[in-house]
Amino acid sequence: MQRRRFLSRSAAAGVAAGFGATLKAASDAQSPSGPSSDLPSKFTPAAHSIPHSNYSPFTTPDYYTFADDLIIERNASNKPHQGKILAAIQAHSDDIPLFAAGTVAKLIDEGYTGYLIRLSNDEAAGSTLGHGVVQNDADIQEAAKAMGLKKAYSFYYRNHRMDDNAAIEIRARLIFLFRMLQVNTVFAMDPYDHYDENPDHIVAGKAVEGACWMAGGAKDYPEHYKAGLKPAHIREKYYHARSPQGHNLVNRVVDISSYIDQKVRTNMANRGKGPAGTAGARLRQQLARQGRKLPLLGNDDETANFAYVKHFLMDDFRILGRQFGLECAEAFRYIGPEPDYLGNIVKYAEEHSVPL
Amino acid sequence: MDAHQTYPSESVGARAGTPVTVEKARPGQPHKGRVFVGVHAHLQDLPRYAGGLCAKLILEGYTGFLVRTTNDEKFGGRDIPQNILNNEQEHLKMASVLGFKDVFDLYYRAHRMNEISPTEIRGRLILLLRMLKADTVISFHPSGAGESELDHAATGRAVEDACDMAASESDFQEHLEAGFGPQSVVERYYFHTHPDQPFNRVVDIRPHIEKKIDAMIECRSQGGGASGAELRARLAREGKRLPLLGDDDRTANREYVRQFLLDEHRDYGRRHNLQYAEQFLYVDHRPPTKTKVEEYVARNAVGI
Repeated sequence: MQRRRFLSRSAAAGVAAGFGATLKAASDAQSPSGPSSDLPSKFTPAAHSIPHSNYSPFTTPDYYTFADDLIIERNASNKPHQGKILAAIQAHSDDIPLFAAGTVAKLIDEGYTGYLIRLSNDEAAGSTLGHGVVQNDADIQEAAKAMGLKKAYSFYYRNHRMDDNAAIEIRARLIFLFRMLQVNTVFAMDPYDHYDENPDHIVAGKAVEGACWMAGGAKDYPEHYKAGLKPAHIREKYYHARSPQGHNLVNRVVDISSYIDQKVRTNMANRGKGPAGTAGARLRQQLARQGRKLPLLGNDDETANFAYVKHFLMDDFRILGRQFGLECAEAFRYIGPEPDYLGNIVKYAEEHSVPL
Repeated sequence: MDAHQTYPSESVGARAGTPVTVEKARPGQPHKGRVFVGVHAHLQDLPRYAGGLCAKLILEGYTGFLVRTTNDEKFGGRDIPQNILNNEQEHLKMASVLGFKDVFDLYYRAHRMNEISPTEIRGRLILLLRMLKADTVISFHPSGAGESELDHAATGRAVEDACDMAASESDFQEHLEAGFGPQSVVERYYFHTHPDQPFNRVVDIRPHIEKKIDAMIECRSQGGGASGAELRARLAREGKRLPLLGDDDRTANREYVRQFLLDEHRDYGRRHNLQYAEQFLYVDHRPPTKTKVEEYVARNAVGI
């Protein structure tokens, strides 16, 4: 994902037209309009567009398909997830922060222990490839802390080239980690996300999906068991889509209103990649050079960075939330625990069996 | 007894000028506490090429582990599922005969290992080498000349790369967190599977030949382990017998192996006045007691 390209374009527009023009465009964008459509009434829409603030392409996807059993996941009290483990897997340093950090922070607050796993080395974002690797490596540590995660792992596959790697090898490493960490729940890019331009996302989603399936099996990588690892039974998956092109099935909308500041701080940690990081401070400094200020950005860089992310980059999550009567929301294709198939049959047999 | 004797090479396969070391039995258990991992592709490979060496090293104190990379589905004359099962079970028996402590089967499809991911099998082998704390490996030459068996080539290559990377803290870092630290594999014995392949070590396997034969007769689906009994049965149907084959199947199988399947080992031994021998390219990666820098410093450092 060439997020830098977007930022460069924005900066170039600011320089060419002056910040007045840029901010006016942003201001116009603050009043999202509902979708207009030429779809004849005899057709039922199969996908739904969500209004956007147009402050950033990397917030909520263009389209969602909502399931008729959609659930709104709200805050849960009394740490119901105590003892459970989640792994948030991302191809790049900014994927989980942008698309799922609020929900990850929420589940950690509700008792989960969590880990961040990044698959690429993020070399494609930086002044040089080397600088990109180093900065993003530091960023994932800070982002993990901001979400309350215990540790961040990285596999360092080359950025934008992950379709060159053996899918089975990535999957094997994830199986090892899932078993070692005894993961119950994963977050990842939807392996069936449509229209995603970034090959790394597709590879990551597929690898996670396969690893979840096999991590619980006795016959896949049996040497792990001789090494003392135990099967990992991943019961819950939160798959998110990539914006702007992404389009996935959504059956769970998570209320992240209480965790929006954590999501903001997680994105602020991404200094090497993504639309957040130090963008607020840079805008503040640019305005200052023009003898101007934006009250929103406050009087120091930290405040500027926080306000920039919260005001501009979280707006689409507020817009999404409003569709469901929430202050802020993230959307997922959620796959929950399987029914107890055999138990149900046993129960049926107990209820219906008759004497011989 | 001098365990190792070195001769100038005149042997076929040994590179001109390369000294050949004869490795003989060593008294006691000089290798106590050390671990070797034998990695082969098919049931019959290790017993044929290195069964004597493995028995010797285990007797001398090594703990041995055995890894088979394929599922051997093409061998045994049955359908593919039955071949897989038969080879799996025979592999366990063969390993037990040689004294291996444990067996790991990776089950890649036989004759198709050129299509698998080199990084995936390498990753698995690295975990095994670290987990088992392997000091020594016994496997195929990683670029063996004349090796037409693609599973052998893939296995040898993967083992070589795994040995190199198992010692690195930067490869598969998740292993380290799981408690399996970097592991230096400091000695390697590469099978001699073709006359064009180099070798520099001849191992005297005379004291272990009976165990090698016992291992080879467990390889019934491939490797000729059941050939003696089959020949004995065929002759019986023709109203004949071969005294060599004795009066029962086990004797027939053992003597068949001794008579017909050990010619190369007798030949290797004959060149060095041994009755039976196995040949290897031995690679010693044990660190020197002093590095060149340390030696230089010791010779040349002066007081300030």
